This record gives sequence, C-alpha cells and structure tokens, in this order.
Amino acid sequence: MTTMNVTTAPTNTEEVIICSEVHKWYGDFHALRGISLTVKKGEVIVILGPSGSGKSTFIRCINRLEEHQQGDIVVEGTTLNYDVRNIAEIRREVGMVFQQFNLFPHLTVLENITLAPIHVRKWTRDHAEDRAMHWLTRVGIPEQANKYPGQLSGGQQQRVAIARTLTMEPNILLFDEPTSALDPEMIKEVLDVMRDLATEGYTILAVTHEMGFARTVADRIIFMDAGQIVEENTPENFFTNPNNERTKLFLNQILHH
Amino acid sequence: MAELSPTPPKGQQPIPFWRDGRVIGVLAQIAFVILVALGTAWLLRNVNDNIGALGSFRCADGTESFRCGFNFLSIDAQFDISESIIQYNPSDSYGRALVVGALNTIKVTVLGVILATILGTLAGIARLSTNWLVSNLAKWYVDFFRNTPLLLQLFFIYFGVILLFPAIQDAVQPFGLPIFLSQRGINMPGPVFMPSFAIWMAFLILGLIQAQVTWLFLGRQEQQTGRNSNRGWWAVASFLLVALIGWYVAGSTADSQGILVARATRVREFSDIEALVLGRLPVDNLNDIDTAVADGRLTQEDLTAASLHICSVQDDPSQVNFTSQLRRAGIPYVVNRSDRLDQATEAYAAGDCEVLVATRSALAAERNVLENGANLSIIPIAETPVRMAVPRIEGLNFVGGIKLTPSFAAILIGLVLYTGAFIAEIVRAGIQSVPKGQTEAARALGLSESQRLRLVVLPQAMRVIIPPLTSQYLNLAKNSSLAIAVGFADLWAIAYTTLNQSGRSVQVFIIVMAAYLTLSLTISFLLNWYNRRISLVER
Repeated sequence: MTTMNVTTAPTNTEEVIICSEVHKWYGDFHALRGISLTVKKGEVIVILGPSGSGKSTFIRCINRLEEHQQGDIVVEGTTLNYDVRNIAEIRREVGMVFQQFNLFPHLTVLENITLAPIHVRKWTRDHAEDRAMHWLTRVGIPEQANKYPGQLSGGQQQRVAIARTLTMEPNILLFDEPTSALDPEMIKEVLDVMRDLATEGYTILAVTHEMGFARTVADRIIFMDAGQIVEENTPENFFTNPNNERTKLFLNQILHH
Repeated sequence: MAELSPTPPKGQQPIPFWRDGRVIGVLAQIAFVILVALGTAWLLRNVNDNIGALGSFRCADGTESFRCGFNFLSIDAQFDISESIIQYNPSDSYGRALVVGALNTIKVTVLGVILATILGTLAGIARLSTNWLVSNLAKWYVDFFRNTPLLLQLFFIYFGVILLFPAIQDAVQPFGLPIFLSQRGINMPGPVFMPSFAIWMAFLILGLIQAQVTWLFLGRQEQQTGRNSNRGWWAVASFLLVALIGWYVAGSTADSQGILVARATRVREFSDIEALVLGRLPVDNLNDIDTAVADGRLTQEDLTAASLHICSVQDDPSQVNFTSQLRRAGIPYVVNRSDRLDQATEAYAAGDCEVLVATRSALAAERNVLENGANLSIIPIAETPVRMAVPRIEGLNFVGGIKLTPSFAAILIGLVLYTGAFIAEIVRAGIQSVPKGQTEAARALGLSESQRLRLVVLPQAMRVIIPPLTSQYLNLAKNSSLAIAVGFADLWAIAYTTLNQSGRSVQVFIIVMAAYLTLSLTISFLLNWYNRRISLVER
C-alpha cells in the first residue's frame, strides 16, 4: 500500500489506526473531546457507552462520514485530511456496517454487493459475482442472491450488508450498532457472523449494546462518556472490576435492569 | 352467563340491511351510476338539440350524419400560416391547416419537454449546492418563474425582449458565436445532409454492430482471463474509427455534386476559383479583403461585383456544400436563389451569375437545354456527408441554418423557463427523498461522488420524480396553446382561425380536444410505462 502525504510520525506497521487528540464539534456542541486511541492489526475493540456519548460519531470519523476538526487520524499509514485521494484510499480499505443496513433498494442483493467492487476496485463482473457468492454463502444466504432487499428479513438484510462490506476485501471493519434495529431472534444470526470474522484476523471496531459479544469476543473494551474515553480495559476487568465511577454506574444500569 | 342472555351475543344477530356495509356499498354505487347517467343524458340532449338547431351535422341531402359535419375540412382554408414543417399554402384545405397546427404544437412540445428537463435538472441540482451563489441563483430563478403568470411571461419575452432585439443589420452575436439575435428571431447554424450521408449512415450502422461484437468478444475474453480489458473504451474507440473512415470514404466516393461554369473562365477544378475571384480584386491575398474594405481601397459595391456569383435552388444541399467550401477558402460569393431548378437555369442563362450549382446529373440535363451548352463544363465539387450551414445576411433576410421565428422563440423560451422552474423543485424533492443512509453507505463503500449520484441516488430519486414530472410535461403540452398570444401558429391558433372562418364550432372543438387528449395520453402512457419499469420491488 502506498503512503502519501503522511504528516505524522512514522508508524508501526502493526498499528493500523492511530487517533490522537481528535476533537469534533457540531456547531457549539463539543461531540468528541480529545479521543486518542491506537488499534493494532487484528485487534477486536468494542466501544460501549451511554447514548449521546459520541461512540458512533467517533467510528464514523475513521472513514470520514463525519469530519473531525482537530487532531490526527492515520489509517494504515494514510493521514485522513482534506485530500480526497487519501479519503478514497481509506474508504477502500475500511468497511462499515450500519444500524439501518442501508442496502440499495433498487438493486438486487447480488447487484448491491458487486456495485462497489466493479466500480471502485474495477473487477470484472464475473469475478465480482464470484466473490459475492462466496461471501453470501459464508453469511448463509446464497439462495437470496437475486431478490431485492425489500423482500428480505432484517437479519438477512444485515447479513447482506456484511457480505457487501466484506466483498470489498477491507482490512478494517467498523460496526455501528449492527444489531440495534433487529428483532431479538435475528440478533444471534448477525452476532454469529461477527464472531466468525473476529477470529479471522480482521481488525474490528464495534459499537454495540450486546454485552455477551463484548465479553466473549473483544480484545479490549473502550468506554466512552460525554465525548471522552473514560475507561480502556480488558473485557475481564471491565465487567468484573471497572476502574471508573461512571463505568460502574453504567454497568449497574444495564446488568441489573 | 349463557343462561342469562337468551338472545345470541352481539355480532351474531342478523344485521339490518341499512347497517350492512356490503349493502351500503352496492347501493352507493347504484346511486352514483344513476347520477352519472342522468347528467350525461342531459348533456347529450343539450348538445343534440343545439346541433339540430345549428344544423352542424346536416348533409347536402338534408339528413343528419356525424360524418357530414366534418366535410368542411376539405374546403380551402384561404389563410396563410407563418411557419410550417410541411408544405402549406392558403389554397390548401382546413384539414391540412389543422395538421400544420398539430405538427407545430408537437414541435414546440417535444423541444420544450427536452429543454425544460435539462434546465430543470440543472437548476434542481444547483439548489442543493453548498455554494451560496449557485444555490441562491437557482432559488431566485425558481421563485420568479413559479410565482408569475405564464401568459405575462410570454408577453414579456415576446414584446419586451425578442421584439426589442436590434434590426437584422445589427444582429447581436452573443460571445462571438455564429448565433444571431435580431427582430427576425434567432438564427443559428444547422446541419445539412448531403446525398453521401446515406453512405456514411451505412458506416455508422456497421460501426455500431462492430462495436457490439468487440464488446461481446472482449467480455468473453474477460471471463476466461478474469482480467479487466476496458472493453467499453475499446468499443467506443473502434466505433469512432469506423465512423471516421466512413466519413472520408463517403466524402471521396460521392461525386454527385458539381458546378456548371463557362470554359472561358478557365476554371477546371475548385481550387481555380480563388484565382478567378482574386483576379478581379485589387488585393494579392483573399485574407486582405477585410483590411482593404476597412481602409477604403475597396468599396462594398466593388466587392459584391467581384464576388463569385452563384445561381442555385433555395436551400439546396449542393449549394450549402459549395458555399461552405467557399467560406472556408475565404472566397466572397453572392447567391441568386430560385424556387426551382429551371428558374435557376434561366437566371444563369440570363447572365445573372457565373456558376450554376446542383447535382451533376441535373447539371448535365440543364446543359443540354442551354443554347451555349457546348461552351460550358461541369466541374465536380467535393462533399462531406454533413455540412454546417451558417446563417448569412443576404439583403433583408437571413439565409441558411436553423431559424427560430420571434413567435416560436417566445413560446419555446417561455414554456421552458416556466416549466423548468417546476421541474427544478421536483428534481430537488426527488434527490432529497433519498435517505441519508444511502449516501453514507455509498461513501463507506468507496464510491466517488459522481458514482454515488449516478448509481445510487438518481435511480432512487427517479421514482419520486417521474409521477409529478409527468404532470409537468402534460402542463407544458397544454400550456403550448398559449402560443396564440405571441402569434405562433400552433394547433389552437389555427383551430381558432378555422372556427371563425367556417363557423363550425362544435366540430372544431371536437377535433382540438381529441388532438390535445391524444398528445397528453401519449405523454402519460410513455412516462407510466417508464415508471412501471423502474418501480421498486418489495415483498
């Protein structure tokens, strides 16, 4: 991978995401207040926190769906700045799965998945469809390839969205509350897919409210509150022996409701 | 409980008919049908009585027949129509006059729909721009044209803008382009198709087939090798190559056009003409003519006298072909135009001009007619499949190119500006109706901004845009009947004249309404068909 316009210090190749002192404002509202985080290759990080704490905003800054106003974000050696070439390069290597799936309703499942590989990666249609079917099989719904998103259940749609992201062959995956819009019995099918991916060497940043997933899959848990990281811990310590008062309160709220 | 209530529980009792939803529905429908039937019968009786009183549908033998009512269509119209796509003169029938009007309505509708769509789409996208000036310009445009009456706008464009253009001698050329704005309307260059265009067309079709084959072949190769071969580019490039070869082949094999010229002039081929004209001018080089005129060495009269005098048939392709080559060589010329070839030959025989231009076969026939035919030679003139005809002032008129009369320009510009404002809002609403998540997903997948718009946003916006867009197209078609206000001879303008002259009001209205209905239904049929094709599949 070429590195251009890298303005920060030389990076360890193992550190695929480096955020330092990232600030973001929405008008007067200070949404992110100096987030610093380094993610190593293959790490699975789960970000927890109360609503409005800036979790989603933070991971959406990593592929520039939101613009940060201060601080540096370096993804795989490429600095995220106003250079559209850098942005395009980072978006090619970083995949994202959304809460609302955001499948393209006018395209079939197969067309949804092959759109970006054909137009961005410049693959041939045959190669793209081949890879798409591979990933559809992996997420367990190859028979839905020629249906439209409107004809699928929520869980199936989210698995298509995951297949769409994976077919682009990213190294880093961002999950923005992937199970929050799903019926309870569909959550498991999506979490199972995510669990598989975590064991396969993808670098994962996930915002989720699934505590079971966080406890069993995460290498590290980040707890955010009011736009800051207030605790960074192993799952073991995080759930049994949290350091921070705010974390204790949060865990109390969700574990004893 | 059961013992306490001997009657069956509520809901299992028989329903009285006045509360039965099924019966109410049927009764309401019957009542509605009766009302409609009564209303229609009253209207029809009224029409029938009036027709009987007027005698509109009376035949020559005194009987009444629907067909006899339309016999007046074959009577001579006896009024002139300022512009027509087909041949028309006042001795033609009312029927033909109405056809001329219908074609003019179709012309303004089709052009209007195309231009309004382009303008509206651009303005709609501009309104969503983050650039303050761009979005506000679009907003002001939309607000101004949407909030003032169309009739007022038409009057303003016609009387306040186009009729205030300078006289023909001082025609305005915006940005130095060969487009002329004058009281005569708008004149601009237009293509003229030469006889060899047919040969070029054959090459174009060949090129299309060839490009398709290339595309399929490379596609199969891609499947085998799994490597992207840019087959789209290869297909376009090979098509352009075939088109280019065809252009030269068609141009060089065609030898259909020529000029008839006296042997005494010593003109043996096209390039000799320059020497002939130069010999009559006090300059050494054709490029010096302008400076010579400017510093007074050469008067305009002398220049005209020294120019190459050409006789030809009005708007003949061979004349456009010849004069466009003269223009490129910088040779001054004067054209003497006739309506028919024999008139052009007469003018030539009378000595009005030095050369007669037409197809070579026609020239050979004309030479046999002329007394001094033996002294005349036919010189072939090169041609290309398409020549651009540029407007040129000759006397008090523009000749050549495409001509928009003031009336047509006014109604077209008026309809386009007015409808474009509505279309802009529809396009904006359509784009804004696509959820933000779609844009985010497209960006997250790495699609560029133009790919995002083309592949994700616009296809979804189209579904919201098409139904109201259909209404706007229909409005444009129907609003074209305001052409009468600026004197454009559309269907309604001609129908109105017909009505006044013939007094057949019922028949004329039947014809006009049927015509507009046909036009509107055609438009909505086409757009409904397109709408069905792109509609979303759900469940």
